Amino acid sequence: MNYAVLWVRDFALHALRRSDPALAGRPLALIAGEGRRAVVTEAAPEAAGVTPGLAATLAMARCPGVILRPRDPDAEVEANRLLLAAAFTLAPRVEFTGPGCCTIDLQGADPDRTGAAMRLRVAELARAGLPAQGGAAATPLLAAYAARCAEPVRLVPDARAFLAPLPLAFAEPTPAHAEILRGWGIDTLGRLTALPKAEVGRRLGTDGAALWERAAGEATRVLRLVAPPTTFIAEWDYDPPVESVEPLFFRLRRFAERLALELRAAGVVAEKLTLRLFLEDETEHGRDFRLPEPGADVDLWLRVLLAHLETVRTAARVAGVRLAATPARPPQKQDGLFDTGLRDPAVFWENLARLGALVGDDRVGTPAPADTHRPDAFTLGKPAETVPAPAPPPVPAPRGPVLRRFRPPRPARVVCVEERPAQLESEAAQGAVRAAAGPWRVSGDWWRPEAWAVETWQVELAGGGVYQLARTAAGWCVEGVLD
Amino acid sequence: MSGGPATLAALRSLLAARFPEKARKTGGGPATGVAAVDEALGGGLPAGRLTELVAAPGGGAQLVLAGLLASTRGARQRLALVDGADGFAPDAVPADHLRHLVWVRCRTADEAFAAGDLLVRDGNYAAVVLDLRGLALRALRRRPAAAWYRLQRAAEGGAAAVLVLSPGPLVPAAPCRLGLRAPLALADRRVPRAALAAGLAVDLGRGAPAEAELAG
Repeated sequence: MNYAVLWVRDFALHALRRSDPALAGRPLALIAGEGRRAVVTEAAPEAAGVTPGLAATLAMARCPGVILRPRDPDAEVEANRLLLAAAFTLAPRVEFTGPGCCTIDLQGADPDRTGAAMRLRVAELARAGLPAQGGAAATPLLAAYAARCAEPVRLVPDARAFLAPLPLAFAEPTPAHAEILRGWGIDTLGRLTALPKAEVGRRLGTDGAALWERAAGEATRVLRLVAPPTTFIAEWDYDPPVESVEPLFFRLRRFAERLALELRAAGVVAEKLTLRLFLEDETEHGRDFRLPEPGADVDLWLRVLLAHLETVRTAARVAGVRLAATPARPPQKQDGLFDTGLRDPAVFWENLARLGALVGDDRVGTPAPADTHRPDAFTLGKPAETVPAPAPPPVPAPRGPVLRRFRPPRPARVVCVEERPAQLESEAAQGAVRAAAGPWRVSGDWWRPEAWAVETWQVELAGGGVYQLARTAAGWCVEGVLD
Repeated sequence: MSGGPATLAALRSLLAARFPEKARKTGGGPATGVAAVDEALGGGLPAGRLTELVAAPGGGAQLVLAGLLASTRGARQRLALVDGADGFAPDAVPADHLRHLVWVRCRTADEAFAAGDLLVRDGNYAAVVLDLRGLALRALRRRPAAAWYRLQRAAEGGAAAVLVLSPGPLVPAAPCRLGLRAPLALADRRVPRAALAAGLAVDLGRGAPAEAELAG
């Protein structure tokens, strides 16, 4: 088996259906033409009694509730890209044969894995709303025949046995030839190829010989290869614009399904997603999502996107959306023997993203002291994937109660006696000071405009409680309680 | 009534045998490093359970948190701190004790509960600390009991020990509730932190191991 074909029956119909969630499970038919001249070109099985060629008015009479829509070129382009992306995951040499049809050159691919790989792709396409069929055989034509009668994948190791029962229509005879052959009692490819090719050619001409070759599946050709995508971008314009998350999320799911396939076909993963919403008032809302764990997991992407979208409020309706994935090589790592890794990295990073959406990205993470003596200076960074081995205990060992801060510090009025706090009045605490320790004076960044200087005291109130006070140029404040 | 305790013990044994999944498992989670708390909990915070530690400002709860940070760091486990009023001071504990910590700095009780709900279900943490001190007690008490039951159900069956630091008793039907009473003084600032933690005393509330064998 040197070639494979991925083919979608009623492609335009499925492309339209997968682009509009309102069409799921509804009787749908495609029409061409306008007004009374509109005729049905494709009909879904749910549209009982509606057949191609039927006038639109008659279709509505036969199937009340049928939805009649013209073809959607944008939806078909998107569906074709999805099909191509699936094809590129099977082999790098792919031909875009026509709408809803790709031919793949399998030479060099592992024949034992072809069937399983095709079944996987077909299942993925079905989940993405594009029910494809796949066939693999020795020639492109034979593979196309196999795809058309596959359920959903058919491999053809023996061409003669496969072709024999197929109807003559598979070889696409001209109406004249079909009439002649029907008169000869020939209605299958097997019966036609049972005749000598030269005799068929002598009676039906060169077209007849070509028909015989097509019936035998022998016709071969050079594939017109297309280049795989090098950028991973999906874009859609809404007409009319949308104002809720649901249609946006539906479109992003379709984008993610296609982009993930394209990335996998290229042997890369996404390290960053870029979302742009084009608003009706010609402004934009943009957001970059750096994925903590680079990958091509559609559900993970969508959870990250949804966590953000649920917090977005725009001034105008959304007229367009673009999703781009920045590719990166798949992460390769090997943890140390005693490293404590994550039990479920996907859940861990997803929950961090959700927490970031909840409280703000700058308010979640692993704290680390900043390189300054300024009080309450720290950075919040990305948590480590593995918990490193602990350092030796600090020397000297920490002493005293642990400070618990008030953020922001509570303004205070402090009465000093002999330059030591004697009375504290503040929202956080008030009373006479029983004992005080300090002052500890620190300052820094004196060479910058944001120079700072602070004098710190620790005081124990007569009514109980030990508090940390700070005196700056702005006055006194209670920094926290020692707990 | 004669034979009451024996009957009660027999009933508890019967229930424990019939519903083993409901039998209280003490310990199993990380130790807090505070002897009185660990002893009261049977060795450490119970995994898959919610423990409430009630402490007034200056009551020593931050010492318990620092101890928990140290013990989980030593065991190379992950700790999540949902900081309801954004009061944690990273500069107050050794820098190495922060490397396994995920700190969520909330502004409101709603944010804290939502963050706690996510983290308790995460499965990657040995302990999740929900610190509600600094939030208005009256507002916390107005929260529907269902929010607490939801948190308890989320904790059950998980591997994480859930510690709620509260300014007053809040958790309805808390499986374990302890109260801290530590009259800290200014002179304590020269005392090694380990000695201070060893000196903390707890009030045994609901759910001490010797008190009952079944969860509420």
